[in-house]
Amino acid sequence: MGRETLLNAAIALGLVAVPVWAHLAGEPFIITLTTKAVILALAGVGLNIALGHGGLISFGHAAYFGLGGYAAGILAHHAQTFTPLMSAPFIIEGTKFMPVIWLVAVIVAGLAALVIGALSLRTSGVYFIMITLAFGQMLFFFAISWPAYGGEDGLVIYVRNEFPGLNTLDPIQFFALCYVILGLALWFSHRFGRSPFGLALNAARQNAERVQTVGIRPFRLRLTAFVISGMITGLAGALFADLNRFVSPSMLSWQTSGEIMIFIILGGVGRLYGPVAGAALFIALEHFLGGVSDYWLVFVGALLLLVVLFARGGIIGTLAGREVAHD
Amino acid sequence: MTETILKVDNVSKAFGALRACDRVSLDLRLGEIHALIGPNGAGKSTLIKQIAGNLRPDSGRIEFLGRDVAALDTVERARMGLGRSFQISAVIAEFTVLQNVVLAVQGARGTSFHFLRGALSDRAVTEAARLQIERAHLGGREAVRASDLAHGERRRLELAMALALRPKAFLLDEPMAGMGADGVAEMTGLLDGLRHEAPILLVEHDMDAVFALADRISVLDYGQIIASGTVDEIRAHPEVRRAYLGEEDAA
Ligand SMILES: Nc1ncnc2c1ncn2[C@@H]1O[C@H](COP(=O)(O)OP(=O)(O)O)[C@@H](O)[C@H]1O
Ligand SMILES: [Mg+2]
Repeated sequence: MGRETLLNAAIALGLVAVPVWAHLAGEPFIITLTTKAVILALAGVGLNIALGHGGLISFGHAAYFGLGGYAAGILAHHAQTFTPLMSAPFIIEGTKFMPVIWLVAVIVAGLAALVIGALSLRTSGVYFIMITLAFGQMLFFFAISWPAYGGEDGLVIYVRNEFPGLNTLDPIQFFALCYVILGLALWFSHRFGRSPFGLALNAARQNAERVQTVGIRPFRLRLTAFVISGMITGLAGALFADLNRFVSPSMLSWQTSGEIMIFIILGGVGRLYGPVAGAALFIALEHFLGGVSDYWLVFVGALLLLVVLFARGGIIGTLAGREVAHD
Repeated sequence: MTETILKVDNVSKAFGALRACDRVSLDLRLGEIHALIGPNGAGKSTLIKQIAGNLRPDSGRIEFLGRDVAALDTVERARMGLGRSFQISAVIAEFTVLQNVVLAVQGARGTSFHFLRGALSDRAVTEAARLQIERAHLGGREAVRASDLAHGERRRLELAMALALRPKAFLLDEPMAGMGADGVAEMTGLLDGLRHEAPILLVEHDMDAVFALADRISVLDYGQIIASGTVDEIRAHPEVRRAYLGEEDAA
């Protein structure tokens, strides 16, 4: 087994060990904290598909995270107020059933990524960063100014949504659910990276002209990757809404986009467990430093600077070295 | 009459006041190597880019396999069967030799939109890639990253990628640039065998290689074709000797 595989296994184990210990020790807050790290890691796994594999520096992934969150919030809102989501031309009811909520979140986020991607992928470099940021901000201001779903105040999910066979109100059970989803996303991300599509996408990031001369269209690769990326981040958003039992426009803010990007840079751009390591470290810092000083983000900023200057591969790259291509 | 695969007819391209290609006409026929020579800045790469679809001619017409390709972009022309190598090596640096050639095989087969199976676990694809790697004399180097290859190996990797497309014509822009004598000899041997697979439009500065390989030569100078003919005709052409072969031959 390679060093990176061992490191990944250690991270995966650590993410289980902490909440299991917290469960036995009766520390539900720690479980919630780990669940938060797991969900944010999932958002990062989504962005990593676009950013790490595709080289698409999206500064607007809060859009998909927030849309996923609002999908959960709005569906739950209608279910708990017994008002239909839509009454004409046919009736659509709200729901508290997680699998349906996730499906809606993934579809809505995917459609948004399709539209936003189709428009912004015509640009590149700084323009791409700016245009994705602009779309994110558009949704943010839309959410703030749309009173039907709480506007600035957001939406409260009174009781966490349901999953068959589980008591989602029990922190450890909700954690397990999120952990399994993260595991599935990582499995997909792993297969994706080695697939023909992943190969072509990674090639297009390095040399788009070369990819064209072998008869492959980079735009189609990138748009597809962008949509998949948005879908995964959207799913994370739906889980995040359920974790907090609350959705607000802050999920759509540019700070959220920045944080998701920070997870990846801290953990290692393009590395399978990069977003997991990054999100875990970020939440740990928030927990430990946030208690000491209100300026904890300054420390994160300094750390980010160090990583960018001296450890380009992030945590994973520093501990596991260069990625193994194949044998 | 041998079949014409590629036909460039009266193509012009200007960059501002600079006429990089000025009413250029030439053709490429089945089974031949047609060398395009000329001093630096003559417009050779500009012509290649117009044929490959990276640049749009200001006027004139380019036909590939009997079809006007004006409306087709680079990707569509590659799919039609234009196998191209760049003047400056363009391989995927972080990829291994095998991954690079597998990418080309995928492109040729149109199998890039698979998300879960392994790119390197499809035997048919990797076998096709390994075959071209062997042919480009890179056997045993499959697992080496392109960025770690020697210069000459990287040029041959480009050739392997072009080969993997099973093209109907090769467009090779200075495939021997920067190579030592051994590298040139090796590449010359490789290209010699290729012409029967698909004709080659070969831009090259190494005159020994050009004279050894070419069936026909066209000479480009300041964007214009000043001579076109067999090796012997070009060697004897007074304008060519003056403009291009220069003092070296006159001595
Ligand atoms: N994109 C461009 N914009 C402006 N001038 C260019 C461009 N590409 C090439 N040129 C100019 O066109 C001329 C022909 O260039 P090129 O085709 O690269 O020559 P060659 O390959 O024969 O050495 C040169 O003078 C070069 O500077
Ligand atoms: Mg040139």
